[in-house]
Amino acid sequence: MKKRIINFLLMMIFIIIVGGWIYTSVRDEFLKQSRAAQRRTVETVAAGYPSGDDEIGEWLKRLAEDANDYRVALVPEIPMPGEKLEVPPRGDAELSKLTEDSASDPEFSKGFDNAAYEEIYRSAKTWTVGTQEEQALFFAPAVDLRTHDIEGALVFSFSTEGEQGFMRMMNTLFAAAFILFAVVIWQMMLSRDPIVGFALAGLFLMTITFVAYPLFEALRLSFMENGKFSLAVWRTILNSEGYMSALWGSLKLGCWTATFSTLVGFLFAFVVSRTNAPCKKLISTMGVLPVISPPFSLTLSIILLFGNNGLITRWLRVIGLDFSIYGLPGLVIVQTMGMFPIAFLTLGGVLQAIDSTYEEASLNLSAGRFKTFSSITLPLAVPGLLSAWLLVFTTSLADFANPLLLAGDLKVLSLESYIEVTGMNRLGHGAALSILLLLPTLTAFLAQRFWVAKRSYVTVTGKPSGRITELTTPTVRRILTGIIFVIVFFLIMLYGTIFAGCFVKNWGIDYTFSLENITEAITRSRDALFDTVTLAAIATPIAGIIAMIAALLIVRRKFHGKKLLEMLLMTPFALPGTLLGISYILAFNHAPIILVGTAAIIVINYVIRELPVGIEGGIASLRQIDPSIEEAATDLGADQAMVFRSIVLPLVRPAFLSSLSYTFVRSMTAVSAVIFLISARWYHITVLIYNFSENLRFGLASVLSTVLIIIVFGAFGIMRLIVRENSNLMKNVT
Amino acid sequence: MASSKSKSVTFDNIVKIFRDPQSGQDVTAVGGVSFTIEPGELVTLLGPSGCGKSTILRMLSGFEQPTSGRILIGDNDVTQTPPNKRDTAMVFQSYGLFPHMNVAENVAYGLKLRKMPANEIAEKVQRFLEMVGLGQMGKRPPSRLSGGQQQRVALARSLIVEPSVLLLDEPLSNLDALLREQMRVEIRRLQKSLGITAMYVTHDRVEAMSLSDRIIVMKLGNIIQIGTPSDIYRDPVDTFVAGFVGKVAFFPCEVKSIDSGCHVEVKGQGFTAPRWSDKLKAGDKALVMARPESLSIGEAGAGVEDGVVTANIYLGNSVETWVHTDLGNVLVQIDNPDVKKIWDEGSTVSLSFDPALTKVLVDDLEKA
Repeated sequence: MKKRIINFLLMMIFIIIVGGWIYTSVRDEFLKQSRAAQRRTVETVAAGYPSGDDEIGEWLKRLAEDANDYRVALVPEIPMPGEKLEVPPRGDAELSKLTEDSASDPEFSKGFDNAAYEEIYRSAKTWTVGTQEEQALFFAPAVDLRTHDIEGALVFSFSTEGEQGFMRMMNTLFAAAFILFAVVIWQMMLSRDPIVGFALAGLFLMTITFVAYPLFEALRLSFMENGKFSLAVWRTILNSEGYMSALWGSLKLGCWTATFSTLVGFLFAFVVSRTNAPCKKLISTMGVLPVISPPFSLTLSIILLFGNNGLITRWLRVIGLDFSIYGLPGLVIVQTMGMFPIAFLTLGGVLQAIDSTYEEASLNLSAGRFKTFSSITLPLAVPGLLSAWLLVFTTSLADFANPLLLAGDLKVLSLESYIEVTGMNRLGHGAALSILLLLPTLTAFLAQRFWVAKRSYVTVTGKPSGRITELTTPTVRRILTGIIFVIVFFLIMLYGTIFAGCFVKNWGIDYTFSLENITEAITRSRDALFDTVTLAAIATPIAGIIAMIAALLIVRRKFHGKKLLEMLLMTPFALPGTLLGISYILAFNHAPIILVGTAAIIVINYVIRELPVGIEGGIASLRQIDPSIEEAATDLGADQAMVFRSIVLPLVRPAFLSSLSYTFVRSMTAVSAVIFLISARWYHITVLIYNFSENLRFGLASVLSTVLIIIVFGAFGIMRLIVRENSNLMKNVT
Repeated sequence: MASSKSKSVTFDNIVKIFRDPQSGQDVTAVGGVSFTIEPGELVTLLGPSGCGKSTILRMLSGFEQPTSGRILIGDNDVTQTPPNKRDTAMVFQSYGLFPHMNVAENVAYGLKLRKMPANEIAEKVQRFLEMVGLGQMGKRPPSRLSGGQQQRVALARSLIVEPSVLLLDEPLSNLDALLREQMRVEIRRLQKSLGITAMYVTHDRVEAMSLSDRIIVMKLGNIIQIGTPSDIYRDPVDTFVAGFVGKVAFFPCEVKSIDSGCHVEVKGQGFTAPRWSDKLKAGDKALVMARPESLSIGEAGAGVEDGVVTANIYLGNSVETWVHTDLGNVLVQIDNPDVKKIWDEGSTVSLSFDPALTKVLVDDLEKA
């Protein structure tokens, strides 16, 4: 081992020497070329120096107009070394000023000296000309065309920006190449299975570059003002009534939505798992459906029905009711409709896992049905209720799409940070606001994960008996089912409205049947739709494969920094999309990595955001697989890649497919992060829906929403078909 | 009868230290182990759980890396070779069959990795499936086989790649008693007929005795004894080995002298044992080790130790009589019970042993 480390170090020293040699020679060659080009320009220009005062004036003026990469000033009389100019320089004003101020500087004296001997001289250091820093100066003789006398000196200033840009690029390139070499050689020389090492190195590099670094940049910028460390941004935000009311608004919205969603979710879960109500299949389906409906769709139909010109608003106005859906109540309704499925799924799992033997025991001990519910079922479900509440709270706080259309006068943080960035161009404020949003989100997320989830009673019970103990009297059951059907009907009405919106000429004004919206929407959105599908399709397999590799390493391998890697990979799940979007534009619009405006930044964002869910799924399904299955394959001669391809991937196929479809759907319906990252070239269909809605083109928005809904449901449908086929084959994975 | 392909296995001073993830402390799983397995030999690692026997197997297969020392297969040092590049094949305790492949595909997996032509694979797979008695089962998924059949598939899958060394990690522990006996014979037959070098890990002494050419008895990461099954049974190095490989009774004694035999005195009676521990010298307090079949029961006061019969277990060809004495509960095996006297439960009896079948051991019972 020691010998191999020494070998590695020797190899590294060798690479540093060779790399350094290549680096310096490439750099010198480039600088030589670039300076030679500048020198040639100076020669050519100086050769054209005319004679006669007027002609010189004319000549200088023409140069100032024509030249774009240099500036010229003429020193009519060359001063003695160390002395000031007697006649002020002519030509470029800022350069003249510098020349006059610094004429006695040794560098200038040297330049003038050279000019006096008809030589061209390049200053050894760089100067600031006016506002432009880092300018290289050239000194050339001004030779009278006719008399061939040296009349004075010409001072040229060239920008060194190109040179410096090149140097920066070189530095980045060489640093990256060095790290790459080091990792490759380290793995090749020291590791027994290099593939695992490469995968780990890749994952660490990826998470540090695309999770840690952007977040750090966002945090850094919120502490900066005019390029210096400052608390000004935070001071402004914490002292501003507007921003604080946005924080308050977010919390208020989150609390209301979480409370209502938990209530509705519990109602659905209770009726499905604890009563003999009719149409349970429909209830479960409708209880899950909204979670995969695209953003804006529910908001859109709420506006179509209850907006200022809405269908139902009109009727209510007729009977004298006037109200505005915009603001807190409207948002709570829309969010509850969209997010109660989260509570339903959580609580459904919890209630199903609570063995109904407990309730039977209680009934058997002659407790009444209500007594049983209140003393057995409810207390057992409390951790689940808390969990559901916190999950919805987090989601509501991070929600961006619904407030964007429906907030009205209500201020919420996710929206404010968007306005700061896109409206005011105050990136620091935007970053700070989204970090502020992160605090309650993260608190709730961590509380759910590490506190509530551990207090669940679910794990202590045995297998669920599968029987249902009727806990309601027929009357109560009818009332509960009645409420559920009202909600289900409302949901169906919302989806129906979007569909209807496609075929109506101008919603709110002209309700005649028309197909114009459809044709117009399709023509106008074709490119965006194509972009959206393309980007999602690229991100999907990448995220799927990376998630499975990461899950495999986490479950099966021992390595240093495993906890750190897990944390880095899982963090994006708890981050509000706006924060991720803002940190990406902050981190990737400057060197060393410039991605803003490219498709890559959007794809990377999708991958990073959707990885956590894929990894969790992968981990869960890998834990079910006996490690000796993989060991058997290795033992028979398969290398790591082969084991992954021929054993692991087929075995985790259901989890893999569902993570694929999840990533695809989430990428198709992303808004909060992607709205910061889109560019003229790469557009996203959800942003288009938003634009149409903002411009009151509800028909177009409806058509696009319907298209998205079809794509999303289609993707899920296909996935379920494949998985079902698969699961018949795959029973008994031991 | 070793085939030309089978190779020897050598462990040269192998140490394996694990780091306990909870306490962060180093735990020595294997502490400096050396041994050699001859080509074509089946050697069993026997020991209680946690003795390091599975770690040794996993180091030979390459799934664990020794902390120090060398492992050789034939003349090749494979210490740094990854598991997929080692010419070993392992049969796992839980079989590790690929659930998404049928039986034939499972068996063919290793051959496919070796890029054998498809028609040759099919032919060879069929031959090996027939060898393990599963000729008709090729198309079935593993989940539709019984435990014993799954084990045969795992065996065929390992054998078909013709490894230099076959590794078996408690392969029979998930089977019921009858099947276990059957598979034991089967494994031994296949291993012998293919002349393959094999290492077998188990904590079941009967399995070890009935299968092995030699047994390595391990305790707490160290080898205690290496020997043939009968060596280990008749001539154990200490009370641990004696107790681990079979029922045994120990009678305290004093060593009088040692020449061609070991002369001891038990409760005033003199005996001469043909085997004794090297460390003993005249005057030592020691133990006489006696197996159930070397013990006999007589009238109270006639033998070396008195006790009360607590149970008689009739096994057909023998009766096992439990006698409660001051030395503990002692098992006596009475062969041909139909022509021998069986003492009633509750009767006071005396135990004596046949000195020719005993061994004198150092008294280390206190420490253990």
